[in-house]
Amino acid sequence: MAAAALRPAILRHIRLCPSPPAAAAAYSHPHAMARWLVRPMSSHDAHLTRDEVVDRLVDVLKSHPRSTPRRRRLLLLVGWWQVNPEAHFEKDLGLDSLDTVEVVMAIEEEFKLEIPDQEANKIDSLPLAVEYVANHPMAA
Amino acid sequence: MAFTMRAVKVPPNSASLEEARHRVFDFFRQACRSIPSVMEIYNLGDVVTPSQLRSSIAKEIRKNQSVTNPKVIDMLLFKGLEELNNITEHAKQRHHIIGQYVVGQKGLVQDIDKNPGSSDFLKKFYTSNYI
Repeated sequence: MAAAALRPAILRHIRLCPSPPAAAAAYSHPHAMARWLVRPMSSHDAHLTRDEVVDRLVDVLKSHPRSTPRRRRLLLLVGWWQVNPEAHFEKDLGLDSLDTVEVVMAIEEEFKLEIPDQEANKIDSLPLAVEYVANHPMAA
Repeated sequence: MAFTMRAVKVPPNSASLEEARHRVFDFFRQACRSIPSVMEIYNLGDVVTPSQLRSSIAKEIRKNQSVTNPKVIDMLLFKGLEELNNITEHAKQRHHIIGQYVVGQKGLVQDIDKNPGSSDFLKKFYTSNYI
Protein backbone atom coordinates (compact mmCIF):
# COMPACT_ATOMS: atom_id res chain seq x y z
CA MET A 1 0.00 0.00 0.00
CA ALA A 2 2.83 2.32 0.75
CA ALA A 3 4.29 1.43 -2.62
CA ALA A 4 1.05 2.49 -4.34
CA ALA A 5 1.27 5.91 -2.73
CA LEU A 6 4.99 6.10 -3.32
CA ARG A 7 4.72 5.38 -7.03
CA PRO A 8 2.92 8.61 -8.09
CA ALA A 9 5.24 10.61 -5.89
CA ILE A 10 8.24 9.11 -7.65
CA LEU A 11 6.63 9.60 -11.07
CA ARG A 12 5.91 13.23 -10.28
CA HIS A 13 9.60 13.76 -9.77
CA ILE A 14 10.77 12.18 -12.98
CA ARG A 15 7.94 13.45 -15.19
CA LEU A 16 9.12 14.94 -18.46
CA CYS A 17 7.84 18.20 -19.90
CA PRO A 18 5.16 17.37 -22.59
CA SER A 19 6.32 19.83 -25.26
CA PRO A 20 9.98 20.73 -25.23
CA PRO A 21 10.40 24.50 -25.18
CA ALA A 22 13.11 24.34 -27.83
CA ALA A 23 10.68 23.02 -30.45
CA ALA A 24 8.10 25.70 -29.73
CA ALA A 25 10.76 28.37 -29.93
CA ALA A 26 12.04 27.05 -33.23
CA TYR A 27 8.57 26.94 -34.76
CA SER A 28 7.70 30.45 -33.81
CA HIS A 29 11.03 31.72 -35.12
CA PRO A 30 10.42 34.18 -37.97
CA HIS A 31 13.17 32.72 -40.13
CA ALA A 32 11.83 30.05 -42.49
CA MET A 33 14.79 27.72 -42.08
CA ALA A 34 14.42 27.50 -38.28
CA ARG A 35 12.03 24.57 -38.59
CA TRP A 36 14.95 22.56 -39.96
CA LEU A 37 16.27 22.49 -36.41
CA VAL A 38 13.28 20.51 -35.22
CA ARG A 39 11.69 18.63 -38.14
CA PRO A 40 14.09 18.70 -41.06
CA MET A 41 12.21 16.36 -43.40
CA SER A 42 8.66 17.58 -42.85
CA SER A 43 6.80 19.13 -45.75
CA HIS A 44 3.86 20.11 -43.58
CA ASP A 45 4.66 23.82 -43.54
CA ALA A 46 6.38 23.89 -46.91
CA HIS A 47 4.13 26.39 -48.66
CA LEU A 48 5.30 28.75 -51.34
CA THR A 49 5.51 32.36 -50.30
CA ARG A 50 3.75 34.88 -52.45
CA ASP A 51 6.98 36.62 -53.42
CA GLU A 52 8.50 33.37 -54.61
CA VAL A 53 5.37 32.67 -56.68
CA VAL A 54 5.49 36.13 -58.24
CA ASP A 55 9.20 35.83 -59.04
CA ARG A 56 8.82 32.46 -60.70
CA LEU A 57 5.79 33.61 -62.68
CA VAL A 58 7.67 36.66 -63.91
CA ASP A 59 10.49 34.37 -65.03
CA VAL A 60 8.02 32.21 -66.91
CA LEU A 61 6.61 35.27 -68.65
CA LYS A 62 10.02 36.66 -69.52
CA SER A 63 11.21 33.40 -71.00
CA HIS A 64 8.25 33.23 -73.35
CA PRO A 65 9.73 34.09 -76.75
CA ARG A 66 6.79 36.20 -77.92
CA SER A 67 6.16 38.31 -74.85
CA THR A 68 7.22 41.93 -74.96
CA PRO A 69 6.23 44.71 -72.60
CA ARG A 70 4.08 47.39 -74.18
CA ARG A 71 5.92 50.28 -72.59
CA ARG A 72 9.57 49.70 -73.38
CA ARG A 73 12.03 51.21 -71.01
CA LEU A 74 15.68 52.16 -71.27
CA LEU A 75 16.51 48.93 -69.47
CA LEU A 76 15.40 47.05 -72.56
CA LEU A 77 18.61 48.16 -74.22
CA VAL A 78 20.53 46.38 -71.51
CA GLY A 79 18.42 43.29 -72.20
CA TRP A 80 16.47 43.45 -68.96
CA TRP A 81 12.91 44.58 -68.52
CA GLN A 82 10.45 44.83 -65.72
CA VAL A 83 7.11 43.14 -65.81
CA ASN A 84 4.31 45.26 -64.40
CA PRO A 85 2.76 43.34 -61.49
CA GLU A 86 -0.69 43.97 -62.99
CA ALA A 87 0.35 42.69 -66.38
CA HIS A 88 -2.46 41.38 -68.56
CA PHE A 89 -1.12 38.78 -70.95
CA GLU A 90 -2.88 40.06 -74.03
CA LYS A 91 -3.08 43.77 -73.37
CA ASP A 92 0.25 44.50 -71.69
CA LEU A 93 2.53 41.79 -73.02
CA GLY A 94 1.35 41.62 -76.62
CA LEU A 95 0.40 37.95 -76.55
CA ASP A 96 -2.57 36.42 -78.33
CA SER A 97 -4.99 33.82 -77.01
CA LEU A 98 -2.87 30.86 -78.10
CA ASP A 99 0.12 32.41 -76.30
CA THR A 100 -2.01 32.79 -73.17
CA VAL A 101 -2.77 29.06 -73.25
CA GLU A 102 0.94 28.39 -73.78
CA VAL A 103 1.84 30.57 -70.78
CA VAL A 104 -0.69 28.66 -68.65
CA MET A 105 0.91 25.39 -69.75
CA ALA A 106 4.33 26.80 -68.85
CA ILE A 107 2.95 27.67 -65.40
CA GLU A 108 1.69 24.09 -65.08
CA GLU A 109 5.15 22.81 -65.88
CA GLU A 110 6.91 25.25 -63.55
CA PHE A 111 4.80 24.55 -60.49
CA LYS A 112 4.10 20.88 -61.26
CA LEU A 113 0.36 21.45 -61.31
CA GLU A 114 -2.49 20.21 -63.44
CA ILE A 115 -4.92 23.06 -64.05
CA PRO A 116 -8.41 22.02 -65.26
CA ASP A 117 -9.72 23.66 -68.42
CA GLN A 118 -12.35 25.81 -66.73
CA GLU A 119 -9.82 27.40 -64.41
CA ALA A 120 -7.24 27.69 -67.15
CA ASN A 121 -9.61 29.71 -69.33
CA LYS A 122 -9.97 32.28 -66.56
CA ILE A 123 -6.26 32.88 -66.03
CA ASP A 124 -5.81 35.96 -68.13
CA SER A 125 -3.30 38.12 -66.31
CA LEU A 126 -0.45 37.99 -63.82
CA PRO A 127 -2.44 38.79 -60.64
CA LEU A 128 -4.96 36.04 -61.45
CA ALA A 129 -2.14 33.57 -62.03
CA VAL A 130 -0.52 34.55 -58.71
CA GLU A 131 -3.88 34.07 -56.95
CA TYR A 132 -4.38 30.66 -58.44
CA VAL A 133 -0.91 29.31 -57.77
CA ALA A 134 -0.68 30.78 -54.27
CA ASN A 135 -3.99 29.18 -53.30
CA HIS A 136 -3.25 25.82 -54.86
CA PRO A 137 -2.32 23.24 -52.21
CA MET A 138 -0.15 21.19 -54.57
CA ALA A 139 2.03 23.97 -55.94
CA ALA A 140 5.69 23.01 -55.71
CA MET B 1 -0.10 4.78 -90.67
CA ALA B 2 -2.45 1.95 -89.88
CA PHE B 3 -2.38 2.54 -86.13
CA THR B 4 -4.74 5.48 -86.42
CA MET B 5 -7.48 3.22 -87.77
CA ARG B 6 -8.41 2.69 -84.16
CA ALA B 7 -9.32 6.33 -83.62
CA VAL B 8 -11.92 6.72 -86.38
CA LYS B 9 -14.70 7.93 -84.11
CA VAL B 10 -14.88 11.49 -85.34
CA PRO B 11 -16.79 13.88 -83.10
CA PRO B 12 -19.55 15.89 -84.82
CA ASN B 13 -18.62 19.13 -86.52
CA SER B 14 -18.31 22.23 -84.39
CA ALA B 15 -21.35 24.41 -84.59
CA SER B 16 -19.54 27.73 -84.53
CA LEU B 17 -16.15 29.35 -84.74
CA GLU B 18 -16.16 29.73 -80.95
CA GLU B 19 -16.51 25.99 -80.45
CA ALA B 20 -13.82 25.31 -83.02
CA ARG B 21 -11.56 27.72 -81.15
CA HIS B 22 -12.15 25.84 -77.91
CA ARG B 23 -11.34 22.59 -79.63
CA VAL B 24 -8.08 24.07 -80.91
CA PHE B 25 -7.09 25.11 -77.41
CA ASP B 26 -8.05 21.70 -76.03
CA PHE B 27 -5.91 20.05 -78.68
CA PHE B 28 -3.02 22.36 -77.85
CA ARG B 29 -3.29 21.52 -74.16
CA GLN B 30 -3.42 17.81 -74.94
CA ALA B 31 -0.31 18.11 -77.09
CA CYS B 32 1.56 20.09 -74.42
CA ARG B 33 0.66 17.53 -71.76
CA SER B 34 2.13 14.75 -73.87
CA ILE B 35 5.46 16.57 -74.31
CA PRO B 36 7.20 14.95 -71.29
CA SER B 37 6.42 11.46 -72.56
CA VAL B 38 7.54 12.39 -76.09
CA MET B 39 10.85 13.68 -74.76
CA GLU B 40 11.23 10.44 -72.84
CA ILE B 41 10.44 8.20 -75.83
CA TYR B 42 12.73 9.90 -78.35
CA ASN B 43 15.52 10.92 -75.96
CA LEU B 44 15.22 14.58 -76.81
CA GLY B 45 16.53 15.74 -73.45
CA ASP B 46 19.85 16.90 -74.87
CA VAL B 47 18.46 18.49 -77.97
CA VAL B 48 15.48 20.56 -76.96
CA THR B 49 13.60 21.87 -73.93
CA PRO B 50 9.85 21.40 -73.34
CA SER B 51 9.22 25.11 -73.79
CA GLN B 52 10.84 25.03 -77.24
CA LEU B 53 8.59 22.14 -78.22
CA ARG B 54 5.60 24.10 -76.96
CA SER B 55 6.62 27.00 -79.15
CA SER B 56 6.98 24.70 -82.17
CA ILE B 57 3.50 23.32 -81.63
CA ALA B 58 2.11 26.84 -81.27
CA LYS B 59 3.86 27.83 -84.48
CA GLU B 60 2.28 24.94 -86.36
CA ILE B 61 -1.13 25.90 -85.06
CA ARG B 62 -0.53 29.53 -85.93
CA LYS B 63 0.21 28.65 -89.56
CA ASN B 64 -3.51 28.07 -90.03
CA GLN B 65 -4.56 31.10 -88.06
CA SER B 66 -6.52 32.73 -90.83
CA VAL B 67 -8.99 29.88 -91.38
CA THR B 68 -12.57 30.87 -90.57
CA ASN B 69 -14.62 27.85 -91.70
CA PRO B 70 -15.33 25.61 -88.66
CA LYS B 71 -15.39 22.48 -90.82
CA VAL B 72 -11.93 23.20 -92.18
CA ILE B 73 -10.72 23.79 -88.65
CA ASP B 74 -12.18 20.44 -87.61
CA MET B 75 -10.39 18.75 -90.48
CA LEU B 76 -7.09 20.38 -89.52
CA LEU B 77 -7.64 19.34 -85.92
CA PHE B 78 -8.25 15.77 -87.05
CA LYS B 79 -4.97 15.78 -88.92
CA GLY B 80 -3.21 17.33 -85.95
CA LEU B 81 -4.61 14.71 -83.64
CA GLU B 82 -3.49 11.99 -86.03
CA GLU B 83 0.02 13.43 -86.01
CA LEU B 84 0.00 13.63 -82.22
CA ASN B 85 -1.14 10.01 -81.95
CA ASN B 86 1.59 8.92 -84.33
CA ILE B 87 4.22 10.68 -82.28
CA THR B 88 3.07 9.47 -78.89
CA GLU B 89 2.74 5.84 -79.93
CA HIS B 90 6.30 5.85 -81.29
CA ALA B 91 5.26 5.38 -84.89
CA LYS B 92 7.78 8.04 -85.86
CA GLN B 93 11.49 8.15 -85.21
CA ARG B 94 13.86 10.57 -83.59
CA HIS B 95 15.09 12.13 -86.80
CA HIS B 96 11.50 12.85 -87.86
CA ILE B 97 10.82 14.71 -84.65
CA ILE B 98 14.09 16.61 -84.76
CA GLY B 99 13.66 17.53 -88.40
CA GLN B 100 10.07 18.66 -88.09
CA TYR B 101 9.77 20.20 -84.64
CA VAL B 102 13.18 21.14 -83.28
CA VAL B 103 14.30 24.53 -84.48
CA GLY B 104 18.03 24.61 -85.11
CA GLN B 105 20.30 27.56 -85.77
CA LYS B 106 19.07 28.06 -89.30
CA GLY B 107 15.46 27.15 -88.58
CA LEU B 108 13.69 23.84 -89.01
CA VAL B 109 15.68 21.18 -90.85
CA GLN B 110 12.81 20.63 -93.22
CA ASP B 111 12.81 24.31 -94.18
CA ILE B 112 16.50 24.55 -94.94
CA ASP B 113 17.18 24.85 -98.65
CA LYS B 114 19.55 22.00 -99.46
CA ASN B 115 20.19 23.01 -103.06
CA PRO B 116 20.36 26.78 -103.04
CA GLY B 117 21.92 27.14 -106.49
CA SER B 118 19.41 25.01 -108.36
CA SER B 119 16.85 26.40 -110.77
CA ASP B 120 13.11 26.76 -110.18
CA PHE B 121 12.46 23.81 -112.47
CA LEU B 122 14.64 21.55 -110.34
CA LYS B 123 13.02 22.73 -107.12
CA LYS B 124 9.56 21.91 -108.48
CA PHE B 125 10.88 18.60 -109.75
CA TYR B 126 12.15 17.68 -106.31
CA THR B 127 8.95 18.59 -104.50
CA SER B 128 6.42 16.74 -106.63
CA ASN B 129 5.56 14.94 -109.85
CA TYR B 130 2.93 17.45 -110.77
CA ILE B 131 3.20 21.18 -110.98
